[in-house]
Amino acid sequence: MIRWAIVMGVVAACVGYLVYSASGGASEYYVTVSELRSHQPASGDVRVAGVVQDDIQRSNGGLHVRFTEKDGTASVVVDYTGTLPDIFKPGITVVAEGRLGADGVFHARAVLAKCPSRFSTTSYTQ
Amino acid sequence: MTLAFLGAGSLLAGLVMAVFSALLSFWAGRTENGVMIQVGRRAFYATAAMIFIASALLETALVTHDFSLAYVTEHTDLSTPIALVAAGFYGGQEGSLLYWALILSILGSASLLASSRLGPRLAAYAAGIMAAIASFFLVVLVLVASPFDVLAITPPDGLGLNPVLRDGGMLIHPPVVLAGFAAFAIPFSFAAAALLAGRFDAAWIAHTRRFALVAWGLQSAGLLLGMWWAYHVLGWGGYWGWDPVENVAFMPWLATTAYLHSSQVQERRGRLRAWNFGLVILAFLLVVFGTFIVRSGIVPSVHTFAVSPIGPWFLGFLGVCLVFSIGVLAWRSGGLHSSGEPAPAVSREGAFALQNLLLIGVIAVVFWGTMLPLVSGLVGQERVVSASYYERASGPLFAAILALMAAGPLIPWRHAGVPFWRSLTWPAATWALVLAILLVAGVRGLPALIGVPLAAAVASTVVYEYARAIGRWRRAGGGWPRAVALLARRRRRYGAYLAHLGLAVVVVGLAASHFWQQEKDVTLQTGQQVTVAGYTLTFAGAETRELADHSELVAAMTLGGQTLEPARATYAGLGGQSLTHVAISSSPIADLYVVLAGTNSDGSASFRIFVNPLVSWIWSGGAIIIVGVVLGNAGRRRAVGEPVAVSVPSAVGAS
Repeated sequence: MIRWAIVMGVVAACVGYLVYSASGGASEYYVTVSELRSHQPASGDVRVAGVVQDDIQRSNGGLHVRFTEKDGTASVVVDYTGTLPDIFKPGITVVAEGRLGADGVFHARAVLAKCPSRFSTTSYTQ
Repeated sequence: MTLAFLGAGSLLAGLVMAVFSALLSFWAGRTENGVMIQVGRRAFYATAAMIFIASALLETALVTHDFSLAYVTEHTDLSTPIALVAAGFYGGQEGSLLYWALILSILGSASLLASSRLGPRLAAYAAGIMAAIASFFLVVLVLVASPFDVLAITPPDGLGLNPVLRDGGMLIHPPVVLAGFAAFAIPFSFAAAALLAGRFDAAWIAHTRRFALVAWGLQSAGLLLGMWWAYHVLGWGGYWGWDPVENVAFMPWLATTAYLHSSQVQERRGRLRAWNFGLVILAFLLVVFGTFIVRSGIVPSVHTFAVSPIGPWFLGFLGVCLVFSIGVLAWRSGGLHSSGEPAPAVSREGAFALQNLLLIGVIAVVFWGTMLPLVSGLVGQERVVSASYYERASGPLFAAILALMAAGPLIPWRHAGVPFWRSLTWPAATWALVLAILLVAGVRGLPALIGVPLAAAVASTVVYEYARAIGRWRRAGGGWPRAVALLARRRRRYGAYLAHLGLAVVVVGLAASHFWQQEKDVTLQTGQQVTVAGYTLTFAGAETRELADHSELVAAMTLGGQTLEPARATYAGLGGQSLTHVAISSSPIADLYVVLAGTNSDGSASFRIFVNPLVSWIWSGGAIIIVGVVLGNAGRRRAVGEPVAVSVPSAVGAS
């Protein structure tokens, strides 16, 4: 019984330490576009969710893209290099992961799209 | 129209039957009224029949394109291939709940049919619990999410399926995952029934062993198929993103894996009783929790499922299951002392216990990462963890589990003597050899240097166990045929070893494709070449093809004599939604994975190219796991009872 409790305690302590140490550098804040300008954390990436506006500029065969992301009233220009999710188009909600640069442009490391809700394309009954 | 009424009617009849069966079974079990126990059980079979009829009607409505049903209109159209139309049964919210209920009631009926040896009380309570779970699903199906709702005006065509889902993966991944989850309700029901009936022996474990193994096999296959599908369709070069929807499917698998091992300790040695009850309950609660997370959208996910009215219902169900399970466990905790003698730390029992703790640790890591946005959002700024959190926090735990897998099968029950320490030379030598090869080959990444040699050691232990058994039996006379026959007789054990081997192969594939992936973005003119990790590709030109409901931009890339055709489809009818078609050239060494980003006005095209080493090992390892599960499960079941209680009274409880 005591031995079992000791082993449990040791494993629990290890797990606790791993969770603590791993979440330190790997957690990111969710911010709104207006919060982004006022208090971006000093280091690390943030995630900003917003709706893609219809000013998408693609270059380099679609590998480089610049668009405006709007949430409520505030908006920010997002700059991203890489392949975009298939459903990326004006009007959808995306989550951009990255940092706001000194140039006032949000440099995204990744752009995630919210999947189309459900199996169907739109709801017929609503 | 008639069909919709019949369907809704059979769901309602099923609900009445299920509630009746639940109430009657509990009452009859309590009073040990044999006739009423039979009636309660038959009412459960009748529930299963009603659910089956409703399912058959929904499937009929789908394949006959009966657009008077809202469900059929929202999920299919006339141009969708018929196999995908049929898959619409489990593709939508309402249908997937019906599918869950269908699997639960069929497997539940099968588990009750063979339950005569368990004694009337336990079987009656189990029927009652399964009927109660079925009642919950039927209430939701009847009141909030009916697949048989009729539209006021019948449209000429349906809305169809999102192009992302128009894929063969849709036919197989969702039903397997859902069936794996639903199947775990059976061990849960019998465990809770055993607690209610005060039967703390291993009878419920032996009775539901097959269902637990089937649930585990389906969940494993479902997870791997989901990875396979994501890899082939989504075009980001990977297969696992630690998204909440993936995590909540992964956690029940971890708990089920732990249970499959710890239940053997109770069957063989009569120990870990309370722990096993707890694990089964945990696994089932995680299943319900996952369904709630996926349906409610309370944590941010790339997969947003509709934030639907059934979320609160599942939260309520989760609460009821939690209170009921913990209440019963606490009520019976006094009788749960283990009967077996305590074992020394270095023994099979000890290895299983440690493996269980490590798996619970991984569950804790994943759970914390999944719930952090919610928890941090309640106390302040919402935070999310990235994939590296999961890798750094769970990686060391997985390494420890792999090390245990390498040594575990060699450790005897009760006590490990000199032969065990000697047999460890095999996995240890393999580990050292593979590590040396990697170091000589110039590999310096620590995670890969830890993971790959350990996986090799796991595989070598399995090979050693097989070789040792076959050698012993051949020497005993009878030669090869007799050795094979004996292996087949102990298929539960050797099937499990095969699953270990498959997992080792999967781990090598995961490690290699994760740590040694190479990636390159290029823009090429026709005739230009690009080389990634030794693969030279030539861009031969791009063209646009007009198809029935979409247009496709196809690029041709030649690789030696082979032509790869990455493409982008655009669906004008769906607001210009585009869909990537990844081109993959697969070999046992590496996959060349080419994604077309688009074309430029000067005729050049841009690509993202990945080289993913050993990805095919993941899928073949998965196949080995499934073969192991099927072999271990095939044929007649051998009855295994509780081991004879040791006369020395033990004050050491497992809890």
